[in-house]
Amino acid sequence: MLAHAEATYPDECCGVMLGAVDELKLVRVAVPLENVAQGSHRARYELAPEDLIRAEREARTRGLDVIGIYHSHPDCDAYFSETDLKNSCPWYSFVVLAVYQGRFRNANSWLPDAEQTKAEKEEMTWPKS
Amino acid sequence: MAKILIPTPLRQYTEKQSEVSMPGATVGEVLSALTTRYADLRKQLYSDAGALRSYVNVYVNDEDIRYLEKDKTAVKDADTLTIVPSIAGGSTLVAEPQLATELTQEEILRYSRHLIMPEVGVEGQLKLKNASVLLVGAGGLGAPLGLYLAAAGIGRIGLVDFDVVDHTNLHRQIIHGTKDVGRRKLDSAADRMRDINPNVKLDLHEVALTSENALDILRDYDIIVDGTDNFPTRYLVNDACVLLGKPNVYGSIFRFEGQATVFAYPGGPCYRCSYPEPPPPGLVPSCAEGGVLGILPGMIGVIQATETVKLIMGIGESLVGRLVRYDALEMRFREYKVRRDPECPVCGDHPTIRKLIDYQQFCGIPQQVTTRGELDVTEVKQKIDRGDDFLLIDVREPHEYQIACIPTAKLIPLGEVAKRLNEIDPDAEIVVHCKSGGRSARAVEILRQNGYKNVANMRGGILAWSEKVDPRVPKY
Repeated sequence: MLAHAEATYPDECCGVMLGAVDELKLVRVAVPLENVAQGSHRARYELAPEDLIRAEREARTRGLDVIGIYHSHPDCDAYFSETDLKNSCPWYSFVVLAVYQGRFRNANSWLPDAEQTKAEKEEMTWPKS
Repeated sequence: MAKILIPTPLRQYTEKQSEVSMPGATVGEVLSALTTRYADLRKQLYSDAGALRSYVNVYVNDEDIRYLEKDKTAVKDADTLTIVPSIAGGSTLVAEPQLATELTQEEILRYSRHLIMPEVGVEGQLKLKNASVLLVGAGGLGAPLGLYLAAAGIGRIGLVDFDVVDHTNLHRQIIHGTKDVGRRKLDSAADRMRDINPNVKLDLHEVALTSENALDILRDYDIIVDGTDNFPTRYLVNDACVLLGKPNVYGSIFRFEGQATVFAYPGGPCYRCSYPEPPPPGLVPSCAEGGVLGILPGMIGVIQATETVKLIMGIGESLVGRLVRYDALEMRFREYKVRRDPECPVCGDHPTIRKLIDYQQFCGIPQQVTTRGELDVTEVKQKIDRGDDFLLIDVREPHEYQIACIPTAKLIPLGEVAKRLNEIDPDAEIVVHCKSGGRSARAVEILRQNGYKNVANMRGGILAWSEKVDPRVPKY
């Protein structure tokens, strides 16, 4: 995910996270997907529904679930923006990666509510090397 | 029974099944059966008002039902329904009202020489970090402004420009390099600013500032810095700043001289207080026409940048009420008092300008209109009086013709023009009129498309005729 976010800079990248939900949500595989947003990708991303369907299928063949969506914010903090919230879905965790000058800086995970009015920050850790 | 594929997160509501089959002749019926069987699923798919939630897409086989007949889309037994969330987003439309309360370690190092001055300190640097500044123009003044404001650690900088770097810019617009010739100034400036300070968030507005978009663009910023090179935009920026109550850090340059001040600060003067009227168009040459010492915008832009950070930090004595003029040949600064005019039409005690106006017109700049193939009513009258051999066609409706007409005109309503071409001599000189000029312009087009070469529109129609030629012709 970090590599994808850095490689896509200065555009936004996006993808899905496959894993399992137990007491914790554990991401096993990150699947980069195409950003199909129309126009500039500097501050926009959109997932193709077909890609999501494929990702679901892929997850099932590996015995995993689609547990979240990730995308990057080029030169911008890892908050859940109004645009993110208004186009989100409460079924998944949303990881936002802040990439400044092509270098990953930090990431947060967000869980939006069903009415798309707010998103809760989820505690998140990842291997730092 | 149609098959429904359930996405992972919803399987907790379908007894962990990834596929379920439900009866129904339409998508609506199938989903209704599904959410009756699994009641908890209903809340996930439908809002309280009973509509499918905005992020829920339903596909019948490979087709999104939004492009079919929505919930009335027919479903056959062999069909597969897929529920797919729609997901998008992006970093803009920032909903981040919280202000930064601390500096990162990197920022403490970067701004160290600021921080050790008690006039700035962490408090001042945080004010810069939490501030937003809009630069109108990424040219001569915008170049030093962009470089120094980015370096100073302004949290968010907006740039408005729609120009492309060319070779004649390089002797003064030092934010752009030779390699950037041909690029958008926005991109070139943004690259340089990001390199200087990646902490700065940049908003790039590739537009010409107009009366339609100015308020929306300026509204998002604390301070506006005017780096424009023309009078219409300068008045526009000024008026928009006054209307929004935002300070306008002003600068302008001409050959070897420049000036700077802060306009539209509460209680202080605005640009119109000092310059109520624009100069006649063409009197004051632009940089392109009059030339400019390449270093000059550096001096003036840096004054503007200095005033900007002083305003943000609330330190020192600002240029509000003082206009600084700089003469590079004499190497001398002079200072002039500028006062708010209580009679000022925009910032005075009884303002008459309460919204943005047409600044091109205000500055006397002629509008680009196609006058080709148009005749004034007086010219048409002269042609009639001279006995010119031409055909005047009235394309209004018969009832309008009855209300008012020019007697020599032949009536062919617009809708019939294409069918009655046989009545119109292809070699004749033709003038077309209607009530005010709109329909006749369409008729002119139709005739030209059909090979008529000598066709003109009578500007302003019969209303103009009544106004300027024959007041006995009634207006309606």
